[in-house]
Parts: sequence; C-alpha cells; structure tokens
Amino acid sequence: MHFQRSLLSFSLLSCLVAMGNFAAQAQKAADPPPAWKQGMSAESETSALHPFSPIFTGTEAKDLQISKLKVPQGFKVEVYSDGVPDARSMVVTENGTVIVSNRLAKNVYAIANNNGKLEVKTILKGMNAPNGIAMIKGTLFVAERDRILRYDNVEKNLDNLPAGKVVVDGIDPTNGPGHFWKFLVAGPDGKLYFNIGSPQNITSPNQMQAAIFRVDPENGQMERVATGVRNSVGMAFHPVTHKLYFTDHGRDWMGDEIPNDELNVLNKEGENFGYPFCHQGDTPDPIYGKFNTCAHSTPPILKLGAHVAPVGMRFYTGKMFPAEYKNSLFMARHGSWNRNTKQGYDVMRVVLDSKGKVVKYEPFLTGFLTDEKADPPMWGRPADVQVMADGSLLVSDDYNGVVYRVSYEGNTKVASK
Amino acid sequence: MRAITLFSFSLGLKATRPLAVGLLTMGVLFLTSYKSAYSADIEVGRQKAQLCVACHGAGGNSENPEIPALAGQTAQSLSTALYQFREGNRKNPAMSPFAQNLSNADMNNLAAYFASEKRVVLTHTSSAESQSLGPQLAKQYNCVQCHGPLLLGQQHIPRIAGQQHTYLLAQLKGFKAMTRADMDGNMSSAASVVKDGDLELLADYIAGLNR
Repeated sequence: MHFQRSLLSFSLLSCLVAMGNFAAQAQKAADPPPAWKQGMSAESETSALHPFSPIFTGTEAKDLQISKLKVPQGFKVEVYSDGVPDARSMVVTENGTVIVSNRLAKNVYAIANNNGKLEVKTILKGMNAPNGIAMIKGTLFVAERDRILRYDNVEKNLDNLPAGKVVVDGIDPTNGPGHFWKFLVAGPDGKLYFNIGSPQNITSPNQMQAAIFRVDPENGQMERVATGVRNSVGMAFHPVTHKLYFTDHGRDWMGDEIPNDELNVLNKEGENFGYPFCHQGDTPDPIYGKFNTCAHSTPPILKLGAHVAPVGMRFYTGKMFPAEYKNSLFMARHGSWNRNTKQGYDVMRVVLDSKGKVVKYEPFLTGFLTDEKADPPMWGRPADVQVMADGSLLVSDDYNGVVYRVSYEGNTKVASK
Repeated sequence: MRAITLFSFSLGLKATRPLAVGLLTMGVLFLTSYKSAYSADIEVGRQKAQLCVACHGAGGNSENPEIPALAGQTAQSLSTALYQFREGNRKNPAMSPFAQNLSNADMNNLAAYFASEKRVVLTHTSSAESQSLGPQLAKQYNCVQCHGPLLLGQQHIPRIAGQQHTYLLAQLKGFKAMTRADMDGNMSSAASVVKDGDLELLADYIAGLNR
C-alpha cells in the first residue's frame, strides 16, 4: 500500500516534471523578440546594423561640414542656429520665432530674435518625447507620446509659459516600445491631425494603432481618419486642394530594396492604406499577405525608396523661390539604419500637377550622406522643413542639433535651371 | 541660453582656394590634431575631470562595482549620459547634481578625455557558468548586434565589456523595468525578453570580459 502510494506519487511527479518541461519548451518557442527585431528573417539574424543617435550635446556651427551641402543653382544654404538639441519638428510664430521640438530630449526650444541676434531659449521642460508641434492662431499645441497639450498666446508668454492645458490624453496605447511618438499638424478644419503607429515592426495592430487620428482642440473628441498606416511622421495639407498628404515608413527586414516608404493622399475618411497586409500598394506581406490582398487598400501616390525614412514635410507657399516651386512639397528624409547600403539623409522636392498627381521627385538639399557603406554614413540628418515668412526654407537636423536656412539669391548670378 | 550669430557659407561654387589658405588650413589642422571630432578638447576635459575621477577612479578606471568605468568608453555614449543626467532623463543622487553645472562643450570635452584613456583595471571575475554560457546568451539576446562582436560599443552605444558588475546589472534591470532612460526603447525591448536568471548571467559574464 505504502509502496503503491509512493509509486503513484512518483508517477504523478514524473508527469508534472514532463508537463513542466513541455511548458518550458512552449514558453521558449513563444518568447517574443524585441520590438525592433520582430519580423527579422533568418538571413538577417547576423546583421550588425544598429540605430544611430543624435549627438545630444550638439555640434557647433563652426564644426559642421557645411561646404559639403548642395542645393540647386541660385540657392544658398547657411546655418540658422546651432544649440538646439535633437532638433525635429518646427513651427513659426507670427513674429518669426521658430519653435523646435524633439523626440529624445525632454525640452521644447524657441529660436527667438533678440535685437537682431538669434537666441535659443528653453520654453518647456520635462516633456515626454514632445515631437509633435502645431500652431493655430497663436496657440501652440505640443503632442507628447501620451497626450496633446495647448499653450495659448505662446509668443507673449514665451519666457514664462504657464502649464499646458490637456487637449486629449491616453494616446500612448501600450506605454512600451513602438512607433508612438507623434507628428502633429493643424488641418484646414481647425482640428489637429496626428499618428499612432504600430507597436512593432510587423504585427496586427489594434483599433488604436497604425492609424491617423484627428482631435477637436475645443472638446478633445478624437476621430480615426485613416487606417493601415504603419508609422507616419510627416503630414501636410495641400494649400489648394486641402487634402491630407502623409508619408508612411515601410516595414523592416524584407531586404534593402523593399518595401518602399510611401507618400499617400487621404481622399476619404476612414481609408485603409494596407498595413500590415500590403506594402507599397503592390507587395503582400510575407506573413499577413495571406489574410488580405493589396486590392483592398489604397496604394501610395509615390514610392519614396526603401528605408529612406521620410520625416517632416511642408508645401512651399512662400514667395522667395522661383515660381515653379509654388506648392511643391519639401520632404526631409532622415535616412535609416536598417539598410546595408545607406540612402536618404536629404531634403527632396515633390512636384505635383494641378490635380495633385506627382510629376517630379528630385533632390533639393543633399551632401549629408558622405559614404553609403560607412558607419556612420552621414554627418547630419534632416528631420523637418518649414517655410518662413520671407519665403526661405528652414531645415532641422536632429543629429547635430542645428537648423539650416535655404534661401534663393535671385537671378543676379545664374538663372535657376 | 546662448547668442548665435548667423553665419553664412556660399555653396555650389567650385572655385579653387588660394594655396596660402590651403597651407594655413593644414597648419591649423596640424596644431589642432590632438583634438577629437566636434572640437572636443581632451586636455580641457582632463582638467575638468578632477571631480569625476574622485569616484570614477584615476583616468576613469573605476574600482568600485557600483560606479561605472569611463576609461575607453565611446565618446558619444559619455556625452549622451551626461546630457541625460543634466536634463533629467536619467536621475542619480550622486551624478545629477554634477551634471547640472556642465555646458554642452564641457560634456564633449569630458567625453573626449575619458574616451582617450585606456581601460586597465579589471576587478570582476565571472563564474565558470557565466563564462561558458555568456557568449551564446550575448548572441541570443542581441547584445552583439549593437554593442559589437566584442561588446566594445560604437558611437552612442556604450562599451559594456569589462564594465563594473553591480552597475551593469542595475542598468539591465532598469531597462527591463522600463525605468532607465533609453533611445526609442531599444534597450528596454531587448531586455524585456531576457529571463531574470539570464540577466544575472549576462551581467556576470560581460563584467568579467578583459578586452
């Protein structure tokens, strides 16, 4: 009896141990990879590609390799301001003060004109990835990872901004790694448009992810206006058609050449742009492609190149550049780390016809990329562009913490091509 | 903050520079050749480092398991850490107050100085188990992808080989708990999948690497 009970116990114990082993094996098989590695193919397992980081302490203007920069004939590029850590999105106030956001630092900066000298001021501190900024009638809106705040009469209160008022919060769905920093732009309808990206490289998003939303700044009501958008951190409204143009970063680890990053147009609310099922409008995802076809989503109006990482973009509405530049779209391409041969790190010009169709896609500001095979391959990374009141174009560079100014010198030298 | 005058460069012109300017440039380059990138000044950094070495050890070769070695560290990871302590991304009762008084130029000079020093002190001996399992774990958990095959770091990614053990383990635990400042969550997401036992083994293995 005693023996039998022992035997029973032993059998039970063996069984439990076996189950334990099985559970451990199942657990091992189910271990998720880190977010950035997710979707990596077996061939790229040994990849030594690594992300780049801004130089937070910045590069002084005198140390920049600015003579390497190239712009079309008749244009000139100069340093507007250094000392703006991780300079990303830019907006301009009525008085010409440039407010600059960042993604990895914690402050928001202003480049203000103080009796003819430009001065960099810290206007907000202790923010959570305040990448998105927009201006509506003198009110500054700042999108952190998890909420959007408003600061009324920002110019008047520049030196002592009162605490921001919350427009909406709870917009960081996981509070974990993922594409959850925001790009923010004011729409012609007075609402704020922003992204909530995908939590990983390639995954099935929930209802609050991989989409573009808008929020009414008066009452905080949100609406989802586009789906199937993996990570859009560049948006602009066409000055004539008022349609929303936005970029989308393609997934990683499908190779150096596919998929292309995308330039899209939103033609109707709720439109689907394909992620995670379809990339660049015509390439089914190796995993998710069997669940939906490319026929069920809107293709991009322009393929931008693979891993070029389009960031801030604005339509040119100024009067300084030649007439042909009117309503051209200037797009900062950050360049990305997960491509063996690097490309991007420039500002491109997209020319559209009167119907909004792309007729030209050409480099405008280049020379940051020094060696496509080197590590690092570049000495600067454009992150946003902004049109100033005088018609010049500012370009932010988050790698060096610098803002450049591109101006047109007119026909006094050589006529523009 | 700081006043900045607009300075301007003419571009697109390929005019050859006068020879004298070229020679002068070469002379300036020669005179400043001891400086590292971004005008950081190692000598100025060395003088400024007197407070640092009180805790981090002579030349940044810490002998205290809780205090990181700075010698031979990548310059950009050092300037990034100082920036994060000053701005509050990272908080530490010992470090944060020191960082408050440093300018960006100070940080670049200090980073250049400690990066130029040779890592000499090795105070940690890894267990036999860590030594045998460590290399595979460092691959499995993607350490080598960014920190490099020898874990010596590159650009903003720090050298971790031979880093002080208690410090290293605390950082890994902080990343896993998502309480340690990170860049885009890369380390948090890497650490999130590391089992607690493996975290201990990795820290023990990496701290004992003499490279």
